[in-house]
Amino acid sequence: MPINNQDFIKRLGAIAGDLITDNERLAVYETDGLTAKKQLPGVVVIPDTVAQVQAIVALCHTYEVPLVARGAGTGLSGGAMPHSEGVLMVMARFNQIVDVDTSTRTATVQPGVTNLAISEAVSSLGLYYAPDPSSQIACTIGGNVAENSGGVHCLKYGLTVHNVKRLKVVLPGGELIVIGGKGYDTPGYDLLALMHGSEGLLGVVVEVVVQLLPKPPEIAVIMAAFSSVVDAANSVSGVLSEGLLPAGLEMMDKLAIQAAEAFVGAGYPEDAAAMLLCELDGSAEELQVLIEAVRTVFKAQHCMTFTVAWEAEERQGLWLGRKAAFPAVGRIAPDYYCMDGTIPRRELANVLQAITDLSQKYELQVANVFHAGDGNLHPLILYDANNSDQLARAEAFGSEVLALCLEKGGTITGEHGVGVEKINEMCLQFDRNELGIFHGIKKAFDDRGILNPGKGIPTLSRCAEFGAMHVHAGEERFPHLDRF
Amino acid sequence: MEEVEAFAQVVKKATSEGRSLQLMGGGTKSFLGYVPEGLPVLTTQSYTGVLDYHPAELVVRVKAGTPIGTLKGLLQSEGQMLAFDPPAHGASSTIGGVIAAGLSGSARPYRGAARDHLLGVGMVLHDGAYCEFGGQVMKNVAGYDVSRLVCGAYGTLGLMTDLSLKVVPAPEVEKTIIRECSADQARALIKSLANRVSPLSASCYSGDTLSIRLSGSGLAVKATAKMLEGVEADNSFWGQLDAQTLPAFRNASDIWRLSTDSDEPMFDYDFSMLDWGFAQRWLFDPKSDPRDGYQGSGHWTRVRCDIRCDKSGFQAEAFQSLSKLELALHRRLKSTFDPGGVFNPGRMYRKEGL
Repeated sequence: MPINNQDFIKRLGAIAGDLITDNERLAVYETDGLTAKKQLPGVVVIPDTVAQVQAIVALCHTYEVPLVARGAGTGLSGGAMPHSEGVLMVMARFNQIVDVDTSTRTATVQPGVTNLAISEAVSSLGLYYAPDPSSQIACTIGGNVAENSGGVHCLKYGLTVHNVKRLKVVLPGGELIVIGGKGYDTPGYDLLALMHGSEGLLGVVVEVVVQLLPKPPEIAVIMAAFSSVVDAANSVSGVLSEGLLPAGLEMMDKLAIQAAEAFVGAGYPEDAAAMLLCELDGSAEELQVLIEAVRTVFKAQHCMTFTVAWEAEERQGLWLGRKAAFPAVGRIAPDYYCMDGTIPRRELANVLQAITDLSQKYELQVANVFHAGDGNLHPLILYDANNSDQLARAEAFGSEVLALCLEKGGTITGEHGVGVEKINEMCLQFDRNELGIFHGIKKAFDDRGILNPGKGIPTLSRCAEFGAMHVHAGEERFPHLDRF
Repeated sequence: MEEVEAFAQVVKKATSEGRSLQLMGGGTKSFLGYVPEGLPVLTTQSYTGVLDYHPAELVVRVKAGTPIGTLKGLLQSEGQMLAFDPPAHGASSTIGGVIAAGLSGSARPYRGAARDHLLGVGMVLHDGAYCEFGGQVMKNVAGYDVSRLVCGAYGTLGLMTDLSLKVVPAPEVEKTIIRECSADQARALIKSLANRVSPLSASCYSGDTLSIRLSGSGLAVKATAKMLEGVEADNSFWGQLDAQTLPAFRNASDIWRLSTDSDEPMFDYDFSMLDWGFAQRWLFDPKSDPRDGYQGSGHWTRVRCDIRCDKSGFQAEAFQSLSKLELALHRRLKSTFDPGGVFNPGRMYRKEGL
């Protein structure tokens, strides 16, 4: 057992009965959705109550033992990867929907409730929770807050941060704090926004109040096939230029279409170079107008087919292929490496071409799935992990894609988070002053650095090793100014 | 970037001399919070203009000193807008000032807050370093969300020099409907509209009159307007409400705001105006501090206390006090960004230097 401090283990066991210390059962938790990174935890603890969470966090604080909180472990950046000498705290038992208030359209839920379970629980009330990551059937709302998760509907309805009103958080000293309020704002700094996407480095979320939305009266999903990726990319910009704001606007390329079709048989156009899924919502009359407006844009970009799905079953069938795109690609290659850069939409066609070129350079296939409306790319690089050369090539390929996203004015991660996966690329996106602020924020919350160490924010020495500190136009900004 | 470099030099000099600065945009929000007298002013007012705007990207990157009116006009010419109704408290109000104060207008409950539309900021830190957080894309989770932290921090963390904001297509039609009803009827009506997909984009109840703004497709606005059975009124009402230039605001010398749950009872307060679907309530010239004996779950802001109001002025802090834990986090965040207290000391919490 990697944690040698018997006193600590004894006290941990006294707080919560369920400890896992044998390697066989620890192995269940060795990885999250980023399966390329594996690590056995020092010990796993599964608390039942908030008081236990507070006591566990406080104990780790006292003993300065690393603590990683884990939801469903579906994260794609290794944010829940365990620490070899630390505690992995599994939040699975916090799975209750505490309250639904139809008057203020809010739901109070425990962090281990799955994303989809919220929408299912309030569906009969005509309400839903808007952010819908593809993993929504399994991923937890606590994890969604930690990663500020997106999904296919954030173009119109926002990310997790836009749909959460209040949090209960256990701070690194074990104190319980309520962040956010009953109204639309709170006095002081916006700690609620700061908690979102903080990847479990600032606190442990133990309760979430989400804002629910009324379900739209009618929904239509347009599926359109294109003979070139450029036409599809131009259609995306065209729709937004026309002042249309679809609920979702997704793009898949040929390899992704074929993989999804083979997996779920969604009726996708296998001969197309690219396809778009465009979801519109509103009244039936409004939808007729919107659909014709989209048809005009797509026709101008030479779409090959244009079909509209109105019925729930038909629509879900179309989305199923998209949401199953990752596992579908997983069936055509032993492993895949999922990227998550975001770029300005106008660069879509250029970046796609560049990715095609990189695919040839590294001799690895790539399937492209995008939240095109948001400019959020998910190239899936296919490789075989048993072939160490392929793994190295896949990682180098991925790193080049992220650098390309930055060069085009984007970001290295749109919704999957930095975790351990993109920690080196953080050195490309941020300079030492910016990283210094991040470290200061971490310290303001967690002066002993016990929560999820080694994730999210690289140390300056790591960036020096990586050999790529962010510099603008070959030089630091204001190089003649002294730094304190 | 020359201007930004000049700002950085001023900040750096102040820090090295151990002096504080009063950061300002157009200077139209000095009534909010505490402004210490006699500090040298550093204003971004002259730093105006658009840095980047491609309408199809739904993002505008703009210099902090750009006047709200100028920015709105530019977006309007492309059929777009800032969805959160940024309030313009004066002609010189800047977008940097609105974001620094984190102010949202009438559309807040229905289209989100200022911070929801802020995608990135460029800012000068206490040591003169220029940093960028967030960016120009819709989705970005690299690093902590510093841009949203800076939004509403009243310039106490750094000098914001440029910002990137999400913009949205302007609605096809916008209509204001007024009708007379009781407070309970008004609240029920607003909730019935908000609890289904409707073009509701603002509401205000005052003196037995409910004003509702509808924004959206011609079809939807027409149908809802018909259902409301009211009288059409001028859309300019909302801009005046957000800017606090309606007569009720102009005639008051001591203005308080309660931000709360839309379901909260009225208690004993004589609210003059309730907007944001009853979640924002305005109290004019109360006889005593309304925070004393308040039983609800919201928080109070003393929004304005002019020369006619209580001679003691801001004896109390303008913003409701923080809990012990919150205060500790605030202090540590402040000292991370601004260890020497160079930026707007005490603007939010005078006694704490925050």
